[in-house]
Amino acid sequence: MASVEWIKTFFFAKTAPLITPSHFREFPHVTDKECTHCFQCMMICPAPGAIEVIRTEKPGEWKPVIHLGHCIRCGLCVEICPELVLDSGRVHTKNAQDGTYMQFQFHITVNPVICMGCGICSVACPVNKEIDPQLAAKGTSTSDEVIMRVYKGINTVFHEEKCTGCKTCEEQCPNRSVMVARVLEPLQITEEP
Amino acid sequence: MTLLQSFKNAVRQRSIHVCYVDTGSCNGCDIEVLACLSPRYDLEQYGIYVHNNPREADVLLVIGGVTPQWEDKLKMVWDKMPEPKVAVAIGNCPISGCVYNRPDSLTRPPAKSYIPIAAEVPGCPPRPTEIIQAILSVAPLIFKDWEIRR
Ligand code: SF4
Ligand code: SF4
Ligand code: SF4
Ligand code: SF4
Repeated sequence: MASVEWIKTFFFAKTAPLITPSHFREFPHVTDKECTHCFQCMMICPAPGAIEVIRTEKPGEWKPVIHLGHCIRCGLCVEICPELVLDSGRVHTKNAQDGTYMQFQFHITVNPVICMGCGICSVACPVNKEIDPQLAAKGTSTSDEVIMRVYKGINTVFHEEKCTGCKTCEEQCPNRSVMVARVLEPLQITEEP
Repeated sequence: MTLLQSFKNAVRQRSIHVCYVDTGSCNGCDIEVLACLSPRYDLEQYGIYVHNNPREADVLLVIGGVTPQWEDKLKMVWDKMPEPKVAVAIGNCPISGCVYNRPDSLTRPPAKSYIPIAAEVPGCPPRPTEIIQAILSVAPLIFKDWEIRR
């Protein structure tokens, strides 16, 4: 009988079934928390075309959609979402435990050698358009509140911190002179002694 | 179905020969395919064997975002494989180009515009378990009763 057992083991032995543990960071899934369509998840995503925030059939409701085949499972969208709409693995549990969170801002650089001061970037910027209606009408701005505008023949950045990272300016610039870089900062809440 | 056919089906299920081709990946997916061979995942217990010879392969694993150099050569590798055959795209790169899919980059995804892809395993990189599962689920579908359906 022992030999039958031996033959069975020899031919049919398998390693234990391999199941992905639940704490692994999977493709983010959408929970039923309400999305405020702030688009922060889309702005932080490093993979082109991985996440989109789109309107659902219900009026006034927005939901992020993750595209498999594009998403790299980095989990940044899960961490940045202020409403915790997305979830994946134990990202939220760990953040709550350690008091860690993520912050990001955008750094705009203009190459003064190739910028010809056309101002296309400043009038294309959706944030600029809101701040100064002159720019929305493709006019000339003298406001110092805008993110950037042409000043003394060159595109000058005034308020970098207002940039939301849409990169419209980068796409519109004919000289590829303006560049928007995302600066990510992982932070931890420290208790004062 | 004849007895011979059912015997063939049973044998084929445990004898899947794999060839992989890297069409310009960052090496991440290659390492995950390599991990499938390790004792932890042990590909061969499922009857999957990796060679790098398309002429004796049943399954072609396509890895990487298809660089311009590969545009014609991927088809050449595919044509060398004997029927029945199946191609599986491993990782985001052959599906979409992943993070390399930007203006002026040297990738020409997707791989399915050059050869027929039967299954796609998303991930950057996908886990070894996901790769094994994809091969195991797609290969029998293609090879079962091949002589009858042909
Ligand atoms: S999912 Fe979160 S980060 Fe994304 S748009 Fe909705 S609320 Fe903003
Ligand atoms: S996990 Fe990373 S790659 Fe995937 S959608 Fe979120 S931010 Fe983008
Ligand atoms: S990235 Fe968008 S918000 Fe920021 S400056 Fe450019 S256009 Fe304006
Ligand atoms: S950065 Fe580009 S779009 Fe903006 S003013 Fe200079 S050349 Fe024109």
